[in-house]
Amino acid sequence: MAFFKILSCFKCLVAAVSVAVVTGVGFLFSGFYPMGADDHHNDLTYWALETLRERSIARAANNIQVPNDLDSSERLLAGGADYNDMCAGCHLKPGVNQSDFTLGLYPEPPNLTRPENFQDDDTVEMLARQRFWIIKHGIKASGMPAWGAGHDDERIWNMVAFLQRLPELSSPQYQILTVRDADAPVHH
Amino acid sequence: MKPQIRSYLVALPALMLALSAHAHSPDKHMKAAQASAPDCSMMEDMDHSKMNMNDPVMQAMMKKCMQTMHKNEGDLHDDKSDATKHAAHQH
Repeated sequence: MAFFKILSCFKCLVAAVSVAVVTGVGFLFSGFYPMGADDHHNDLTYWALETLRERSIARAANNIQVPNDLDSSERLLAGGADYNDMCAGCHLKPGVNQSDFTLGLYPEPPNLTRPENFQDDDTVEMLARQRFWIIKHGIKASGMPAWGAGHDDERIWNMVAFLQRLPELSSPQYQILTVRDADAPVHH
Repeated sequence: MKPQIRSYLVALPALMLALSAHAHSPDKHMKAAQASAPDCSMMEDMDHSKMNMNDPVMQAMMKKCMQTMHKNEGDLHDDKSDATKHAAHQH
């Protein structure tokens, strides 16, 4: 008797899963999901995607070795020009609060000129590892490209070094540090 | 109307329209294009006794401005040499 009850329950479970799969696939093919960047996710979808992204990046960046000389003037100078060419349009620069990209991209690119809320060394190092990974590999469906395809690791670490000091820079300081030397190869 | 004149009448307004089309903030693009040299005037105005020379940001700014200053001096020297050579050649 108990066996038949379990069998019946199992059938119900299979039927429920089948209905869920068919409904899900039907929804995918229906085209009803709004795909426009100006039509934002609901809170649950946003939370799920953000959690997926943050956990994935944290796991992938966990074992990256951070160079000891990240806070050097050479790295700041090398990374500044690249940041200005490649990143400032979306992640802004001192004195600029928005751009066409920050207004139009979804999710909105983080404003990297804002100071972080933590100070301890472990968190700073973890952030450096994650930034390196993000610059190198990009983020799917976010507008963040994988710069590692055309830039070696040293060049990416230079950008990470510049990002660490960016929130402290004034507009004139930023201007000085990000001008590319005339004899240096122009990016793009 | 000749076909050649008609094509001019179409092409001219199209050209004018293309030339008048520009990005959202042309002044920003202009500034970006012009900013090919560091503006080191803020360094001159700073109180040098209060500068923290151990700070990598300050070191980087100093390097950049010194580099530009030497380059400008070099260009000036080259210009003077060229002018001297040119004057000697005329004599």
